[in-house]
Amino acid sequence: MAVERNYYTIDPEGKLTCNKCKVPLVKGKAKFMYLENGFPVEMPVCPKCGFVYVPEELALGKVLAVERALEDK
Amino acid sequence: MTYIQERGSTHVYHVNRMSKEEMDHMISLCVHDQPAYCVAACPFKVDTKEMLFYAAKGNFKKALAIYEKITPFPMILCDGCTAPCEEKCKLCEIGDGVSIREVERAIVRYGESGKRSSVFRIRKKKKAVIFGSGLFPLFLAGELERKMYPTTIYCQEENYEEYIAAAAHLSESDCRNEAKRLKSMDLVFEFGCSLDPVFIREKMELADVVCASEEIAQKLAPQEEADIEIMLREQARIVSGSTQSVMDAAFSAKRAALTVDLLVQNLSPYSNRGSEGAVTTRLYTNIEGIKGSERIPCGAEGYSKEEAVEEAKRCIQCHCDECIKSCVYLSEYKKHPGLLAREIYNNTQIIMGDHPMNKAMNSCSLCGQCTVTCPNGFDMSQVCRSARENMVSTDKMPLAPHEFALMDMLFSNSEAFLCKPQPGFDICRYVFFPGCQAGAIAPDVVMDVYEDLCRRVEGGVALILGCCGAISEWAGRYEMTEKVNEQLKQELAKLGDPAIIAGCPSCMKQLKESTGAVVTGVWEILKEIGLPETARGLEVPVAIHDACGARGDVHTQDTIRELLTEMGCTVENTEYSRDLSPCCGYGGLTAYANKDMAAKMAAKCLERSDAPYVTYCMACRDRFVREGRESRHILELLYGDHACSMPDISEKRYNRLMLKEKLLKNIWNEELMMEKKDYTVTYTEDAIRMMDERMILKSDVERVLADYRESQEAVLDEETKELVARSRLGNVTFWVRFIETEEGYLVRRAYSHRMNIMKRVGQ
Repeated sequence: MAVERNYYTIDPEGKLTCNKCKVPLVKGKAKFMYLENGFPVEMPVCPKCGFVYVPEELALGKVLAVERALEDK
Repeated sequence: MTYIQERGSTHVYHVNRMSKEEMDHMISLCVHDQPAYCVAACPFKVDTKEMLFYAAKGNFKKALAIYEKITPFPMILCDGCTAPCEEKCKLCEIGDGVSIREVERAIVRYGESGKRSSVFRIRKKKKAVIFGSGLFPLFLAGELERKMYPTTIYCQEENYEEYIAAAAHLSESDCRNEAKRLKSMDLVFEFGCSLDPVFIREKMELADVVCASEEIAQKLAPQEEADIEIMLREQARIVSGSTQSVMDAAFSAKRAALTVDLLVQNLSPYSNRGSEGAVTTRLYTNIEGIKGSERIPCGAEGYSKEEAVEEAKRCIQCHCDECIKSCVYLSEYKKHPGLLAREIYNNTQIIMGDHPMNKAMNSCSLCGQCTVTCPNGFDMSQVCRSARENMVSTDKMPLAPHEFALMDMLFSNSEAFLCKPQPGFDICRYVFFPGCQAGAIAPDVVMDVYEDLCRRVEGGVALILGCCGAISEWAGRYEMTEKVNEQLKQELAKLGDPAIIAGCPSCMKQLKESTGAVVTGVWEILKEIGLPETARGLEVPVAIHDACGARGDVHTQDTIRELLTEMGCTVENTEYSRDLSPCCGYGGLTAYANKDMAAKMAAKCLERSDAPYVTYCMACRDRFVREGRESRHILELLYGDHACSMPDISEKRYNRLMLKEKLLKNIWNEELMMEKKDYTVTYTEDAIRMMDERMILKSDVERVLADYRESQEAVLDEETKELVARSRLGNVTFWVRFIETEEGYLVRRAYSHRMNIMKRVGQ
């Protein structure tokens, strides 16, 4: 069986709750898509409604760096 | 709200908006890499400039290495050098030229010969022979040895010293040194040969190429004259050359060595010779501000080491950097425009892979200053603009650097757009077009101007609040520009195609080209109808910053100065004004694509004077205030009203909407229905600061909150008890961190990313 690869993993560690479903966010499978490229990641996700949370540090750090690299492709 | 379609990254197709020939022509205008005057005048193309550079630093070893590149026998050559370079020295125009020959002699005398590189030097298979002695055979032997031909020299002399002495008149010690140099070369000498025809014919059989002194060649082929261009008796296949002077001999030997190269490859000795001898140069060197001086006197013994260094220091290292010294963009990229243009053009030709020059092409402010400063009119703005259009047409241009500005343009031409004839007129003689930045930064001033124009100008003055299309033009989004042009043309037609009174030089330029209408600056109209009563100049002297939109428009530049004088302003003269004026950093969307570069551009503009700046472009005014300098738009002085002090990106939009609402109410007596919310959204100071920095509008945040109210989708941070909601608006996901208050919401943080995120299912 192929080993699943994730480009980035964030564990909510029980510090985040989905406001709509009132359940804690869990580490779940998500996907970043940009300019027809996709990256599997593990992000804090609501197990009920599927809301994926992207923290500020990630958005302004890694995500921005990958965006810039893809924009110049 | 309409959004702009993001591109894909895997499309492969290609459209050229600037042909290779056009680009080559443009690049050929840049003379930066043309040889210096002294280098061009030298038949050996010795890099005199570089040699003097090292000599001036006292590095004679490196200086000698440069000289040794062009001749195997530097001592003999410099002794007989007639220095055609000296009369071409640029310093001759203002005083004594550099005494290059004497410095060169000092370099040869004091410089230490470096080790010859033996890497990748493989001996050739074809053999050469040289018969006889003298300057030409000596230099040719050296040249052939450099080219790695196994060469045998047959001569009557008995040893190396005699061979050198037969060629050149050197002092005993110099002769010994050159003999030592000759001995160290990879050459075979057969001394004491009789050189009679039988001997020569016998040896000729053993070689692939035969070379000889002119006397021997004449004896061997008396019926044939040597071609002096290629140093060859073609029938007899004998390479020979004259020994009239050292320069002649050394130059003939170079030509002869090239002929040998071509002969052994069975190629025509007439073609593929490249450029031989002195050339003409197109270099431009500005000597303004350089003082002429006298050369350091030289005695019969030549320069001492110190004197040679001093004389070499007089060299001004001729080069052209006219465009670079006044342009932040070119000096930041540390490349002359010819090279930068080539790299940018190549970037547009990449079909798959990285486009490393995207940022470079988007950082130019397209201001056109270089076309004025360059002695040949090199136009970097044309290169960058066409490269941007090319990238857009091939769908390779990222939207990220320009999207905010483009969305701003769409906002100006939709929600904030207004086109109305003056009350009481169906058809107007004029239409006032203040420009999007005037409405965003100084709405009250726009209001004053329009009311005044309606009062004092006959024939009716309509009003258009909107963007002229310069934003999309700068971004290279030509299809969007065409749409703006279409919209404006339709609106103008409704008003009876009036003449345009523009409030911004960039709009003036853009509208002239796009609508074909008669466009006049508002300053011109005010000069004609007289200043408004409110006009007051500043009491302190002011500096004028000429807008890049008015480059080449002397009339506008003059009018601004006349108006200021009429208002009683004292204008300071500054460097780089009028056509030479640099850009504030707003032009070409530099402020969006490269914030740091734009800040440096504004700072560069302000270097010219400590006085308050008067501008006639609202964007310049705003950027200077942000850099901490008192700055006024001329309309502020004319109407005694103030622009907003550093409005943030949200205020700039709000101001445009408010201006529209106020004008509709005051002039046309119409009410604009503004959407009212039954809750409030407040912001912490931190949030306001970070939103401005991150280009997040209040309207974006409010959309996220409105979506949250509807869906309740958000994450609760258990540690801070803050809620984090998000919405995808167009190509960007906005996140807002807030708390709920009694009246509504308090926003504490906001951030965004362009990447789209979704839940993975079934993987």
